[in-house]
Formats: sequence, structure tokens, C-alpha cells
Amino acid sequence: MRKTRTDPRNPTLGEKLRRLLISQEGVLFLIMLVSVLFLSSRTDKFLTVDNLLQQGRFMTEIGLIAIPMTYIIITGGIDLSVGSILGLTAIVLGWTWQELGFPLELAIITGILSGTVAGFINGLFIVRVGVPPLIMTLATLALYRGLAEGISEARSARGYPEWFFQLGQGEFLGIPTQLWLLIVAVIIFGIILARTRLGRALYAIGNNETGARFSGLTVNRHLLFIYAFSGFMSAVAGYIFVSRVSTTRSDMGTGIELDVIAAVVLGGTSIFGGTGSIPGTIIGVVLIQLLKNGLTLSGVTSDATIVVIGSVLIFAILVNNFIQSRGDES
Amino acid sequence: MKKTLATTLILALLLALAGMPLSADGHERWDGADDLAVNPLACGMGDEMMSDEDGDMEEGADEDMEMMEYDGGMVAMHDDTAGMDITLVDVPKLVGIGYFAATTLGQQQAAEELGNVSVTTDAPTEANIDDQIQVIDSYITQGVDGILFAANDPVAIAPVLRKALESGIHVVGYDANSEPDAREWFVNQAEFNGIAKALIDSLVDQMGADASFGIVTSTFTTPNQARWIAEMWAYAGACYPDLEWLETLEAQEDAGLSFQQAQTLINKYGEDLDGIFGMTSVATPASADAVNQAGLCEDVAVVGLATPNAMKPYVNEGCVRDVILWNPVDLGYAAVYVMRAVVDGEFKPGDTSVMAGRLGELVVVNGSEVLLGPPFTFTAENINDFDF
Repeated sequence: MRKTRTDPRNPTLGEKLRRLLISQEGVLFLIMLVSVLFLSSRTDKFLTVDNLLQQGRFMTEIGLIAIPMTYIIITGGIDLSVGSILGLTAIVLGWTWQELGFPLELAIITGILSGTVAGFINGLFIVRVGVPPLIMTLATLALYRGLAEGISEARSARGYPEWFFQLGQGEFLGIPTQLWLLIVAVIIFGIILARTRLGRALYAIGNNETGARFSGLTVNRHLLFIYAFSGFMSAVAGYIFVSRVSTTRSDMGTGIELDVIAAVVLGGTSIFGGTGSIPGTIIGVVLIQLLKNGLTLSGVTSDATIVVIGSVLIFAILVNNFIQSRGDES
Repeated sequence: MKKTLATTLILALLLALAGMPLSADGHERWDGADDLAVNPLACGMGDEMMSDEDGDMEEGADEDMEMMEYDGGMVAMHDDTAGMDITLVDVPKLVGIGYFAATTLGQQQAAEELGNVSVTTDAPTEANIDDQIQVIDSYITQGVDGILFAANDPVAIAPVLRKALESGIHVVGYDANSEPDAREWFVNQAEFNGIAKALIDSLVDQMGADASFGIVTSTFTTPNQARWIAEMWAYAGACYPDLEWLETLEAQEDAGLSFQQAQTLINKYGEDLDGIFGMTSVATPASADAVNQAGLCEDVAVVGLATPNAMKPYVNEGCVRDVILWNPVDLGYAAVYVMRAVVDGEFKPGDTSVMAGRLGELVVVNGSEVLLGPPFTFTAENINDFDF
């Protein structure tokens, strides 16, 4: 096979398009397109503006947490404690407001701060003590959830004022309020990952941490930052979640870490680190949400839906692996 | 690494301890009872009570009606489906467990009897508030005539149910309630005072009105258990003042701990102990096991709330006589009949009762709740008919 003669540094438009199509994100996007076409042929309730916006509302929390999770997995790490941090934030928010009598604004800030601190503690132990991220965040998965249960004593905080629900249940310019937040976050953190020194440092750490250290990168500071960032985003997601469901419970966000990791990995981020992108992750989040909703709308029950989603996950990864390996050979 | 884990554990322990409530002072009430108002039922026992239960209940309901207006929600205008075929979706807390398989069975029985109702059960495979909300939302988009639900959280589920009402979909709850205005009716499987009365009556019937007993509960602050104990205290105080309450022990919902706590009661009070109440579906079989292993089946009566499957060995052996709960098949059955009556316009706000097929007339309590009836007692005669 002879290679094409185009200069790789200066590709033609056609070449650019071809590369985009066979990229991880491109393949995934095609799979999503096919799924949407299929689902909308099964039911006319699926492809409506109202329904899609509603799905956007439902997927915001997972989407927000998936951003730092992409960063973390690119460095070869993982954060299993995000669901527990979400729950802890919700409980701290409700508890400081209802039991300690904080003004609600302050309670929100306290909640988000404690989530960020929780993520920072993860980072601290991982960086300073050298606990593997899997072990550390598995431990805090239990610890933060236990804390949330201990603080709340199985009681819920309810009865928030009307303005508090604006973020989770309201709309801005016809689009669910929290979806704006997700869109802005995706753009900003997508650019940071793809176009800045910080982003390139994360890939470097994931590809070869020792190498990155010897190249003078402040690896520890970067890791500390992304785990704290993960705590922060989980906390923001917790705040949105409380605002959406209008109550706090200590079991909020249970199992969300698996949904997030599934979306990130589906989006083409390698669990071994070094590759991945925010656009891929977001396509992963959207694909899973649309499948969940579309299948239910076309009369598939929830237990069968999770089977289908699992199968699509495996299928998408297989197709992508096949195409990427072909791409490498040609 | 070891140091880290140890530090983490100690930290967790300290924080958990800090979060623990200080021991409840129970000078007045039994340990584990809450401070809310109690409403004990009239004295009387077993079958004799059952026969005039209906009369009593209706009187009670009448009083309730005076005190409490209909506080359920209102469905928006929609096509009149009275008497026509309707499609319902049933969204329990989760699917894949025996309890909700039993409610589904009851719903299918009712649907078959009625002939013009079809019910599909769909719910998450884990009791997760967000998944449940999303399932309900999808069915609102899809368009059904009615939604039956058992809420994972009364407040969290409310917005999506209100959305259903606004879209002209009828909403009836069962097993676990939502905020009243987010649904039209709720089929209440058993009131706290009904359960309390059944428990106390069973003990008195087995061991006499001067029996001494202990309680194994989850924790002193768990809402349902605290409510039941408070109602038991009130009912026993009013009807059987000679009953002697020895001690209430906490056992979380942990089988091993429940077993140990039951053993503690047996060892501590020895001959004096006539009965043990198990307040959770874990504590009751564990207590029965402890009594069984101590060879005290004849001397200590275990009465409690539990599911039939967990209690079958002890009931079939004759070590436990009564297991108190409600019949989930009837619960699901009643929910479909209530929904049909609501759709047909036969059951409206302000009504005091509703007809529910083979269950007969069910009364309205607490404004907008339909009471299933007195609790169901599983005994050696019927326990093997149930599988949950």
C-alpha cells in the first residue's frame, strides 16, 4: 500500500474530513446518528424539541462530572468517589441550611466547598502518600457516603424557597438552566484540554508519568488540581441535583460513578491513560442518555434497556478499535 | 499505605460517632418511640375485632373527613376515558424483588377482572430516585392514561408527578407515598396504629395481658420504626396496662447484630422474657433464630414485621405463630381498582369510600388516602401461599 502524497502538516479539505470521520469521535458520532434515526423511526415521541431538552436536563449532572473524569482518566487515574461526593455535598448543603441555620446562599457555597475539599483530600493522598487512585477513591467512596449518612441521620432537608429551584427545574431562553452550565463548561474545559499547556501536560502524565516528571512538569500539582476539580464538579452536580429533585438524601448519586466512567470510556478515552477528549466524552454522555430515553419511549422496559446499552457500549468500542487499528496500518 | 488506611478508618469512625445522636431519653415513652402525637385504635382483639373492624373504620374515617379535607392533587382536563380501555404504567421503587412482583401480580389480577385496563410494570432495577423520575418522565412523554407509583422519595418524585397531572394523566400511589398534592390518591397498606395494634394483640393473645417483652428495632431515630413503637406504647398503655416493657435494643438493619441483640434479651431477662418484637424485616427472623437456637420456642413468643419467605422456616416449625405485614397482592389489586374508579369518575374528592372488587369497600383516611384494611397476619395456614 502506498501512502497518499498529501503533506501531513498541510492536509486538503477532503483529507481533513476523512480524518475526522475515522477519528474516535467521528465513529462514535456516526453510531449516535444511527441510533437516533433508528429510535425516531420506532416512536414519534422521541425526536421532539421538548423531549430532547428534557433529556438534556437529566444528563447534566453526569455530563459535568464526566469532564474532570476525562482529565483524570487521561492521566491514567480514576475517581470512584464522585457519586459519594455528590451525596455529601447535597447533605452538607441541606444540613447547614436546615440544622445550622445558614442562609441558603452560604449553605450552597459551603456544600460546594466541602465537595471540593473532599476531592482535594483524594488528590493529597494520591500525590503525597502515593496511594493508587483506585484504592484511595474506593476508600473515600465508602467514607464520604458514610459521612453523608452520619450527618443526615437518614433525614432529608426539604422546603427550599422557590428561587432555589431555578437552576434545576427552571429554563433560560427556552433551554433548561443547568444545560447552559453544561454547555459553557464543555466549551471551556474542552478548549483547556485540547489547546493549553495544562491539557498537554495531562496527556504527558498519562503517557509516561516518570518521563513527564523528568521533563520538569509539576506532575503533583497537576494531579492535585484535577482531583480537587473533580470534587468541585461533583459538588456543583450535587447542587444541581438537589435543585432538580427539591430534596436532599444521603443516597443521592449512588452508582453515578459507573455511568460517568462508562460515558468517558465510550467516548474514546483510554482507561490506561494518554488519550481521550472532551467532545468524545460528551458524545458518550449524550448517546447513553438518548438510548435510555428512546428505548423506554419505544416500549422497551428498563431492565431490557440496560442490556441494550451494555451491548452498544461493547459494540461501539469494538468498532472503534477495529477502525483505529485499520487507520494505523494504512 | 497501612498508615493511610488506618488514619482513614479512624477519621471515618470519629466522624460517624460525631454524627450519632445522643441516647434518646425515654422516661415517658419506650425507647425507640418518637415524640409525635399517637392515635391508638380501640381495644379488642383478633377475629372478634376483625368482624366489626369495618364499622369502626368507617366511624374513624368519618371523623377524619371532618378534620381533613381532600388534600390530593387535581388532574388537568383530558379526554374522557370513562368506561373505555385505558393503559396504565406501574412504576414501583424497583423491579426484580419478590415484594413488587407480588404487587404486580395483584395489578394483573385486577386488570384481568376489569377487562378494560392494561397495566405495564416498568421501573429501575435499583431503588434510585433519579432513575425512577426518568422512567416516569418517559411515560408522560409517551402518553399513558394513568400512572401507579411507589415512591423512592416522597419529595423528589413530586415534580414529575405534578407534570403528569398537568398533562392530564391520572396518578395513584401505593406502598410509598409522595407529597399529597402531587397525586390524586394513595393506597395506604397499613396505618401505624393498625400495625401497632396487631403486634400487641398477637403478643397478648399468645402470652397473656401481663407478659414481659423486649423490642429489637433498627435505630431509635428510624422514622417508621419509631412511629410503630410510639403507637404500640400508646395502644398498650390504653388497653393492656399490665404489659411490661423491658428494653428496646438497636440493631440497625443488620442480621448478625439483630441476632446478638435478641440473644442479649434472652440472656439478660431469662425467665422474665415472654416475648420479643422484631421491628424490621431483618430483626424478626433473627430474633426467631435466636429463640429457636436457645430452645425457647414455647416460652418466648416472637412477633414482628417480616416478609413471609424469611419467616417460613420458623412458622412452619411452629416456633413463630404470627408474622404481621400487609398483603402486597391485595395492595396492587386495590391500586388498579382505585385508578379505574378515578378514571370513570366514580371516585371523587370528598368521597369516603371506594369499591375495590374482591376486597369490598375500602375507606378513605387522612384526606386522600385509601386504607387497604387491617394488617395481614401470616400464619402456618397461609404463609406458604406467598413468595416474597
